[in-house]
Amino acid sequence: MRPFEVLDVSGDAGLRVFGRDLAMLFANAAAGLYDLVTDVSRIRTLRSVELEAEAGTLEGLLVSWLNELIFRIDAHGFIAKEITIRELRVPVLPADDPSGFRIEASLTGEEFDASRHEQRLLVKAATWHRLKIVQENGTCQADIIFDT
Amino acid sequence: MSLQKLRRIDETRLEVPIDYKKGMLVPGIIYADALIEKDIEDRAIEQVANVACLPGIIRASYAMPDVHTGYGFTIGGVAAFDLQDGVVSPGGVGYDINCGVRLLRSNLMKQDVTPRLKELVSVLYNEIPSGVGSKGRIRLGPDDEKKVLLKGARWAVESGLGDASDLEKTESGGCLDGADPSVISSKAYERGRSQQGTLGAGNHFLELQYVDRIFDPKAADVLGIFEGQVTVMIHTGSRGFGHQVCTDFLEVMERAAGKYRIELYDRELASAPFNSPEAREYLCAMRCAANYAWANRQCIMSWTRESFMKFFGSSPADLGMSLIYDVAHNIAKVEDHTVGGKKMKLLVHRKGATRAFPPGHPELPAAYRGLGQPVLIPGDMGRASYLLLGTEKAMQETFGSTCHGAGRLMSRHQAIRKAKGRAIWRELEDQGIIVRAAGRETLAEEMSEAYKDVASVVDVVQRAGISTKVARLRPMGVIKG
Repeated sequence: MRPFEVLDVSGDAGLRVFGRDLAMLFANAAAGLYDLVTDVSRIRTLRSVELEAEAGTLEGLLVSWLNELIFRIDAHGFIAKEITIRELRVPVLPADDPSGFRIEASLTGEEFDASRHEQRLLVKAATWHRLKIVQENGTCQADIIFDT
Repeated sequence: MSLQKLRRIDETRLEVPIDYKKGMLVPGIIYADALIEKDIEDRAIEQVANVACLPGIIRASYAMPDVHTGYGFTIGGVAAFDLQDGVVSPGGVGYDINCGVRLLRSNLMKQDVTPRLKELVSVLYNEIPSGVGSKGRIRLGPDDEKKVLLKGARWAVESGLGDASDLEKTESGGCLDGADPSVISSKAYERGRSQQGTLGAGNHFLELQYVDRIFDPKAADVLGIFEGQVTVMIHTGSRGFGHQVCTDFLEVMERAAGKYRIELYDRELASAPFNSPEAREYLCAMRCAANYAWANRQCIMSWTRESFMKFFGSSPADLGMSLIYDVAHNIAKVEDHTVGGKKMKLLVHRKGATRAFPPGHPELPAAYRGLGQPVLIPGDMGRASYLLLGTEKAMQETFGSTCHGAGRLMSRHQAIRKAKGRAIWRELEDQGIIVRAAGRETLAEEMSEAYKDVASVVDVVQRAGISTKVARLRPMGVIKG
């Protein structure tokens, strides 16, 4: 199974992400995002960061998670090569709890350096535009569009 | 499909009828002639109709001829809301808050620059930070960043970057009142810290141009424009600071839409009533981002002037590099308008649309009051850009608004595929245009063919009477992220 593929959208960049389970889906979405920004094979594993995000829906969690990563890219230049999802909590009964869905992850990578790393897209944000997560037959798939 | 449901009002306008979809409170109006009509996406029409469903929308949901699908609102959209029953929507402004354009004149002629063009483009490319992960020349401490948010372009001028006269030639004086730094998240502060004075990437640019055609000699004279003259156009916005503000508030507004029972056809239309605390906070934050963007364009312009002075060894007076005007094309503002003969204050959202106020409007600088507001329309890097003026008809028909650019025709991937095996920089160089870009695929994504011809867009707004042409500007050198 390919981890992700790039979607063709007018003016922006989209990803179709695959995973055996939600944890893998979220990890592959992160890998896809980094691939839009630079050639990750040239990123070294020098620094680790711990991240968490929460939201009231699964779709909301994916947007929050990716926006958390975009914040780290944009504010600190941090690009991860290795992504480990430590926890992905999905409430049994999705209630009206704005923090019911939660992700915790460890990421290892380094700071982007324009003199050594390829510059691809400047990603501004992960959007709700055409956002879709499908879970069936033991696989997960998500479409996500980024403002670039 | 959707196009068949539209009704042609006249040669330059299409109506999205109020029964196009359930829930529309007003019709949609798309400025498009038969040529532009062919390129309008179904999804963009749907978005024009969705906006027409938002509470308190006045008269119509408008789209300009450079319309294309955006998030929630189209790019090229204008929507005005009543302050009593209307809403505020971050999606009606966009992620790049106060993305905008400024145009500088000079006393240089094309032939003064052409022999040293390559060298000059290199100097500017090195002096103006651009591209992914570029660090600005400025690093803002917390107190300074707050000053940027409160003062906008004035902060840059007070820091020695530019003159007070630049502020008069900037929309809203380069600063919106009502900015409140206390509503800004720590993430937005962090993203903004080292991005002041940076161009960014994507469709943002700094372009050396020459005036190749004057349509309105009298106006050109007042604006200090003449044929063969070199101008500089700067297109950028509020950078990561604004993107974070939009991201933060889409979440807030989504909850608010539920709380105030606003029915949304698209989550990116998340809105709150103008009089709610959520809307007030968003507007305070949006104004901070708008001010960040005006400071950004002011810094970049000032370094551009310095670079020219060093490069040509000339004094500022000799170079005559003064600001013609600066416009915002992603913003929401409270403005005075007349609706059905009644004067009203409205919140006007312009997303990928430019303010185009008429002659005599009190918000115009004294020097331009007889002319109307200068409107700057960047095209693509191979064709042309335009300088227009706002009109009374725009004030009456579109809440004083017009188009903002060429509008994309191709997706990024289509463009990259089309550019495969071609050296876009060399094709442009053969036309006398020198380009420098930081990103590997920026030139392919941004090539001329990826955009509508800006001339056909400008032609529609001129024929519709919502702007008039003053001059056409041709690219000479382009710096991109």
